Amino acid sequence: MKKTYSKHMIHLFLLPALVFYVGFMIYPIASALLNSFFEWNGFLRGDFVWFKNFIRLFTESPFQETFFNALEHNVVFFIVLIPAKLMVAYALALVLHGKLKGKEFYKTVFFLPKLLSVIVVGYLFSLILNPSYGALNTALDAVGLDSWTRPWLGSPATALLSIIFIDSWYEFGFAVLIFLVGLQSISSEIYEAAKIDRATGLTLLFRITIPLSMPSIMIMTILTFISAFESFELVYAMEGTSGGPYYSTDVLALFFYRLMFGSAGGGESIGLGSALAVVLLFLISGATAISMGFFKRKEVDY
Amino acid sequence: MVNKKWLVGASLLALASVAAACGGNNESNTSSPSPSSSASGSAEVSVGAGDEPAKLTMYSWRPEDADGYAALIEEFNKEHPNIEVEFKPFKSTEYNTILNNALNSGTGVDILQLRPYDVAAALADSNFLTAIDGLEGLDQIPDTYLDAARGSDGNVYGVPFMLNNAVIFYNKEMFEENGLSVPETYEEFLAVCEALKSKGITPIAQSGKAGYLLSMTHAVIGVDAYGGNDFASEVLTGKTNFNDARFVESIQRMKDLTAYFPKDFIAMEDKDAQTLFYNHDAAMYINGSHRLETFQANDLDFTVDFFTGFAKNKGETPNIVTWVDGSYAVAKSSKHQEQALTFLKFVASKSFGQAFSEKLTRVSPIAGVEPADPLLQRMAKSNVDQSTPYLILTNFNMGVPTSKTTFEDSLQGMYFDKLTPEEVASEFQKSVDKWFKPKS
Repeated sequence: MKKTYSKHMIHLFLLPALVFYVGFMIYPIASALLNSFFEWNGFLRGDFVWFKNFIRLFTESPFQETFFNALEHNVVFFIVLIPAKLMVAYALALVLHGKLKGKEFYKTVFFLPKLLSVIVVGYLFSLILNPSYGALNTALDAVGLDSWTRPWLGSPATALLSIIFIDSWYEFGFAVLIFLVGLQSISSEIYEAAKIDRATGLTLLFRITIPLSMPSIMIMTILTFISAFESFELVYAMEGTSGGPYYSTDVLALFFYRLMFGSAGGGESIGLGSALAVVLLFLISGATAISMGFFKRKEVDY
Repeated sequence: MVNKKWLVGASLLALASVAAACGGNNESNTSSPSPSSSASGSAEVSVGAGDEPAKLTMYSWRPEDADGYAALIEEFNKEHPNIEVEFKPFKSTEYNTILNNALNSGTGVDILQLRPYDVAAALADSNFLTAIDGLEGLDQIPDTYLDAARGSDGNVYGVPFMLNNAVIFYNKEMFEENGLSVPETYEEFLAVCEALKSKGITPIAQSGKAGYLLSMTHAVIGVDAYGGNDFASEVLTGKTNFNDARFVESIQRMKDLTAYFPKDFIAMEDKDAQTLFYNHDAAMYINGSHRLETFQANDLDFTVDFFTGFAKNKGETPNIVTWVDGSYAVAKSSKHQEQALTFLKFVASKSFGQAFSEKLTRVSPIAGVEPADPLLQRMAKSNVDQSTPYLILTNFNMGVPTSKTTFEDSLQGMYFDKLTPEEVASEFQKSVDKWFKPKS
């Protein structure tokens, strides 16, 4: 009897966390889901319209074009971040994992950008990349490369890539740390065993190091995927709510922001915005689940 | 599998943050109208009740006006010592979101600066504002200005308190040194630009990163191309639309002027453009009259003068682009309706108009207010019989995304050679078609 009592008591301790979880996670998700099925008139909820908002989002101009244009940029974001952030970070982690003087110093330096606020980073780089007085163009001019100067953030050809590289610069320190922890967790006995088998250099890297750091690679890839599909702050800080110039840096989260908060009167956009949020939710959680399954098979244990 | 658990947690958190953003804004507004405002909306303004002690919070999108308002509120308190007014400004670009959230939740705001025209109508139609028809002093404000604060039901929901004029500012000494006179027609304007360019001066300090500056310049440069007020009434009554050759011509002008804008202007922000103008690198700068205050603050070392849009033919009177930039409204959820209306009566008074115009260097819509600044005086005079609306702001700022935004973004597209002027016009018209119903 007493045992059962205490067994149930223990659930009570979960209650505070549960309240927060329901209040700040389940409720917003559920209400977004609900709102996406209604028509909206200003801020007033109208009729229940089933999937009309979703259908409009995917078939009606300009929402359709905006959605796929933004989605494409999210995909580019992710694809470019893999070499620009993850591969660079992994290489640096390998270097730091070896015998290197001043390791701790480099670790700190790599991590420093992450300590800044994203908005500050966005503002700083807006200044650096400013077409008329920015440091980058000025420096290029000074070394005779004036033909390379361009309005980095003001031209559709370079704006998105510029932002992705700034994002990599901002985020790569965190990836270095995660990779480093992964590398340090590989037991030295495995290396010793491999060396007895005369494995060297690249063989060690591809047969031992990389397969055994798969857990950290998986985490970082999935976190990068999520951050690529949720990228908002940098684009917002540097290109405004329209993802300028001419939608060349528009991303889904920004499109969502515009639908939800962009038109001053609210308009019919709350239903559309909620529908987009729901689509984003399924897109990210679906892709995350699939890629976790994929990585799971790549994991090895020696 | 510690990693996995951690990961699931991390991804859930990330997902929730997407969805959470819409959680805050989706309650339907159910706040009941406060007792003092009747259902039809017309408020009764009684003097006694309007002076009970109260603390009113006033939302504004102009943090730069804080000092000016401190003085204006002091003026108000001379007659109404019981009513404390707190001026609470937010960054202009965040104002709409913050205000909408406050109105939605029905807390925090008593008096608010109301964005003009379509935005005001949207808030009024959402039942967030107290109708103020018949408020003392409203009859001193021309009807066309009151249109900026009307709901779809025709009631007035705000007291217009500041006008804006879009004009072409120029560096007077620079014009004189180069022997240039103020152009009367578009052709003369092009000649002036060409002359400046040949001397190595950027003719127009235009920026294009923020789209609204493009549509503002379009309003000034294009008004005589599309035919000002006549075209406006034709469009509003459905006699023509934006695919009209005259309107396309006005967009073509925007394209032709690229030669006289700074290099990479589309990547520049307004402050970069201002810097060019302030440092004598550029001769002209197109913006609203609210920039006069900025010029004063920057203590320019040259004389700024302005000219309006152009006349179709030499000798004719040109139009000046005029619109109401803001009104003051009372939130329906405010617990201090009477006191808030007392403040609005003050806003509608000539003494407020005069003080506002002097302290904040702006044009007041209240009849008979004489600005102290000589440039403003000229603008105020022109407003009486030469004004034409900033059509895209005053009547085509609705839809999702708004037609105004669509127009501005399409203009940017034109500068990247993605769209022709005809296509800009048709993109705009397509957006307008989705919601606009002409008045027959």
